[in-house]
Amino acid sequence: MAAPGSTVAAAADAGEELVLTGVSKQYGSTVVLDVAHLVLRRGEVVALAGENGAGKSTMMGIVSGAVQADSGTVSVCGRVLHGGPLEAQRLGVAMVSQEFPLVGQLSVAENLLLGKRPGGNRALVDRKALDAEARRMLQRVGLQVSTRRRVDMLAVGQRQLLEIAKALGHEPVVLILDEPTSALAEAESKRVLEIAREHAASGGIVVFVGHRMHEVLAVADRVVVLRNGRVVADMPAREATEARMVRAMVGRELEVLHLDGAAGTAGTPAFEARRLCAANLGPVDLEVGAGEVVGVAGLMGAGRSRLLHVLAGAIPATSGEMSLDGARYSPRSTRDAVAAGVGLVPEDRKTQALLLDSPIRWNATLAVARRVAWRRLVLTPRRDRAAAAGIVAAASVRCRTPEQTARSLSGGNQQRLVFGRWMAVGPHLLLLDEPTRGVDVGAKAEIYKLVAEQRRKGMAILVASSELEELLTICDRIVVMRRGRIAATLARAEFSKERVIAAAALDSGARL
Amino acid sequence: MAAGPPGPTATPGAGRSAVAPAQVADTAPVTGEGVAAGGARAGATGAGKAIAGRALKGMVDIPEIGIVLAVVLAFVVFASINPLVASVSELQNLGVDLAGFGILAIGESFTIITGGIDLSPGSLTAFFCVISAWLLATAHLPVLLVFVVTVLFGALWGLWHGFLITRLGIAPFVATLVTFIFAAGANEAIAPNPIPFANTTFLAVAGSNVARVPVAVLVLVAIALVAWFFLERTYVGREIYAVGGNREAARLAGIPTARRTVTAYMVSGACAGVVGIIVASHLTSGTADSVSGWELIAIAAAVIGGVSLAGGQGRVVGVVAGAALLVVLRDGLVAVNVNAYYQSMVVGVVLLVAIVLDRFRARRLERSGGSTKGVPTARAGRESDAAAAGAPLPGLASLGGPEASSEEAQPKQPAY
Repeated sequence: MAAPGSTVAAAADAGEELVLTGVSKQYGSTVVLDVAHLVLRRGEVVALAGENGAGKSTMMGIVSGAVQADSGTVSVCGRVLHGGPLEAQRLGVAMVSQEFPLVGQLSVAENLLLGKRPGGNRALVDRKALDAEARRMLQRVGLQVSTRRRVDMLAVGQRQLLEIAKALGHEPVVLILDEPTSALAEAESKRVLEIAREHAASGGIVVFVGHRMHEVLAVADRVVVLRNGRVVADMPAREATEARMVRAMVGRELEVLHLDGAAGTAGTPAFEARRLCAANLGPVDLEVGAGEVVGVAGLMGAGRSRLLHVLAGAIPATSGEMSLDGARYSPRSTRDAVAAGVGLVPEDRKTQALLLDSPIRWNATLAVARRVAWRRLVLTPRRDRAAAAGIVAAASVRCRTPEQTARSLSGGNQQRLVFGRWMAVGPHLLLLDEPTRGVDVGAKAEIYKLVAEQRRKGMAILVASSELEELLTICDRIVVMRRGRIAATLARAEFSKERVIAAAALDSGARL
Repeated sequence: MAAGPPGPTATPGAGRSAVAPAQVADTAPVTGEGVAAGGARAGATGAGKAIAGRALKGMVDIPEIGIVLAVVLAFVVFASINPLVASVSELQNLGVDLAGFGILAIGESFTIITGGIDLSPGSLTAFFCVISAWLLATAHLPVLLVFVVTVLFGALWGLWHGFLITRLGIAPFVATLVTFIFAAGANEAIAPNPIPFANTTFLAVAGSNVARVPVAVLVLVAIALVAWFFLERTYVGREIYAVGGNREAARLAGIPTARRTVTAYMVSGACAGVVGIIVASHLTSGTADSVSGWELIAIAAAVIGGVSLAGGQGRVVGVVAGAALLVVLRDGLVAVNVNAYYQSMVVGVVLLVAIVLDRFRARRLERSGGSTKGVPTARAGRESDAAAAGAPLPGLASLGGPEASSEEAQPKQPAY
C-alpha cells in the first residue's frame, strides 16, 4: 500500500485507485490534455464526457500506455506507469477500442488468446485448452458463438462483445470502454452496460466513453467532463442532467437553430426522382424543393449513403428517372453530376473528400479548378489563390494560410472546407452525407448555420444522417429509409424521434 | 502571371545546371551549409555534425534547393579532381546524358504522381531507338515524320497501359511490367543487328550544338517547361495531382480520374519515344541493347527529386535536379576513375539519403501538424513551408526558386 510518492497531492491517495497527477500532453503548440489531479476509485463506473478534441482520447491513450504524456504521472493501485501498452496491461489496464482490432482471419478462440498459450508452454497449439479457456471468457460477457468461428463472420455487436471479453481476459483493474455501444443495437448495448456495472461491482474501475447521454447517465456513478484538455466538471451521476453536461462540454449556450421562411417553394421541385433503382436500392420516389432541406434517416445499411451516391453519379442507376430543375438528369459519372449542379459532401472526409497532404488551396478549388482557370485551361496562381481565399472565407475555414495542408486542420474546419468547395460550385442540389460526423458540438452548430444559409438562398439540400437530433433540427422534411426504399415521409409538423425510429426499424427490428 | 522575369531566365537552369556549375567551380563560393548538405547527399565526409544538422534542417524547408546544392557540390568535387570534367566537350556529353535521363524521369514522374508507376520506359526507350532507326533506314520515311511517328507511337503505347490500368483494373506495376518484358524481346526481334543511318538531321539531335548547347539539352528544356506548365499551371495538371493525392476524393469532386490516369501514362510513353530518338542519334544507329535499367534510374531520379511514391506530390524542377544529380555522379565517377561497382553503390547511397531525408521531413511535419497520425506520404506542407520562407508561390518556387538561388545568390556570398 505504498503511496505513489512522486507529487504533491499524492500523499492522501491509497493504493486502491487510478490516479492521474499533473498529466499533460501537447501536440505542437496545442495543449490537448492538462489534468491536475484526478482520482478514480475501485467500484466506480466513471463516464468521461467532452466534445471531440476535448482530450478524452488522449487521456485514455495515456492511461492505456499508447500515448506518452509530456509530464505528470499515472498510477494504478499505487504503481506508477512507465512505458507502453504492455506495461499498462501488466499494471491492470485494459482498453476496448477500435485501435486494437480483432484479426478477422483468425477464430474467436485464437483472437481471445492471441499471444497466450493455454495448456502448457509447448511449441504446438493445444486446441482443446484453447477452446476451453475461450469458452470461459465468452461466458463472462454472455456471448454465445462457436470458439472455432472466424471473427470476420461475426456481426458487429458480437465482435464488440468479443473485444470486451478479450479485454477482460487480461483480468484488468481498470477497464476502459471507448464508445462501446456506438455500433450496437438496444439489447446488445444493454448487455455492455451490464458488463460495465458487473466489473465495477467486483471491485474494478470502469472508464466509460459514450455519446448516448441516456446510456452514460444510466451506467455511470460519476461524470467527468473535459473541455480543452481540462477537467471542467466532476459530478455524481445522480446530479448530472443532459443539459448540465452539454453546458459543461461546450462552455457556452448553444445557439438554437431556427428554420425561417417557408419550406420549399411550391411548384416544380428542384429535384425529382421517379422509380429510381440501383443495386440494393429502390425503387425510390423523392422530391426536394428549392430552399428545402430533406433529411434521410434510416438504420445502418438502409441505403442512405447509397441513395446519395446514386444521385451524385458515383453509383450508376439501373432504372428510373431523375430530373433537375425540370430538365432530365441522368448522370453517368460524377463529372456529369457536377456539371449539372449536383454536389456531394461525402461521409468520410479523410478518405472520400480531402487531399490530406496537399494545400488547403488545392482542396478548396478541387471541383471548380476548370472554372477558375483562365480560358478554362490555365490555372494562374493569382486566380487560383483568389478563388481559394474566397472559398476559405465563405466557409469560414480557420487556418494560418491556405498553403498549409488539409491534414493540419481540425475536423470541423476540414468539413467546412469540403462544404466551401461545393458552395463555390453553386449546386442546385447539395447532398450531405453525415455532415457533422466527428466534429464537435460547436463546429456542428456552425455547419448547421451554413446549411441554413444555403437553404435561404434557395438550394435544394438532401441530408443523410444517423443522428436523429440532427435531422430533427435542420430538416423541413424527413424521409425514412428501410432496406433501400423509402418507408415513410414525415413533414416537420409530424417530427418525432419515435415516429422515425418506428419507421426505420419496423420489420428489421422484429426480425433481429 | 506571378512567374515574373526570373522565370524564363531561370528555367533553362534545369537543363543548364550541368553547365552553370562551371562558373561556380573557379571561385567555388559554396556556403558552409551547401558543403554539408551536399556532403551528406554525396556520401562524402568532412563537415562537422553540427553544421550537417543545421543544413539538414534548412533542406527540410525547401527540398529542391538541397538537391541542386548537391548537384553543384558533386560537380565541384569532380571538377577539382579532374579539371577535364568542366571542359566544354565533357559538359556537352553530360548534357546529352542528362537529356535522356531527365526526359525519361519527367515522364515517369507523371505516372508516379497519379499514384502509379511505369516500369516500361527503359525497354521502350530501346524499342523506340530501334523503331526510329528502322523507320528512317528501312521504311525510308522523311526524318521529321520519323520523329512524329515515334513519339505518337510512344503515346499510343501509354494509352494501352492506361487502358489496362483504368478499364481492366490491372495494377500499374503489372501492366507496365508486361511491356518491360515484351519490348525488350521486340527490340531484338526487329534489330538483331544495329540499324545504322546517316541522316544529318537525325544525327544532329544528340550530335550538334546551338551556341555550344547540345540540341538534346534544348529538347529537355522544352519538355521540362511544357511539363511544368501542364502540371502546375493547368487545371488538368491539378487534377492529375488530385488523382494521386486521393483518387476517391477526386472522383467524387467530379474529376474524370480514368482520363487523367491515362494521360499520365501517355506522357510517359511519349517521353520514352523522345529519349529513344536521342539515344539512336547518340549511337548513330538503332541498337536493341542500347539501354538497360533506365526505368529504375528514372524512378530514382523522380524520388530523389521529391516525387512521393504514394502519389500526389512532386514537382518537375525537383525531378530534373534529381536526374542531374544522378548524371553528374555517374559521369563524374567515371571521370575520376572510380570503378563501375562503386558507381552503383554511390547511387544507391544517394537514393537512401534522399529517402531518409524525406521521412525526416514527414516526421517533422507530423510533430508540428498536431493531430496527424501516420502520415503516409512525405512532402506534405512543402508549399506552406515555402510560403513561410517568403518564396513566391507556386510559380517561382517551382522553377525559378532553387535554380535561381544557385546561380544568383551564391556570387553574393562574401569571398573568403
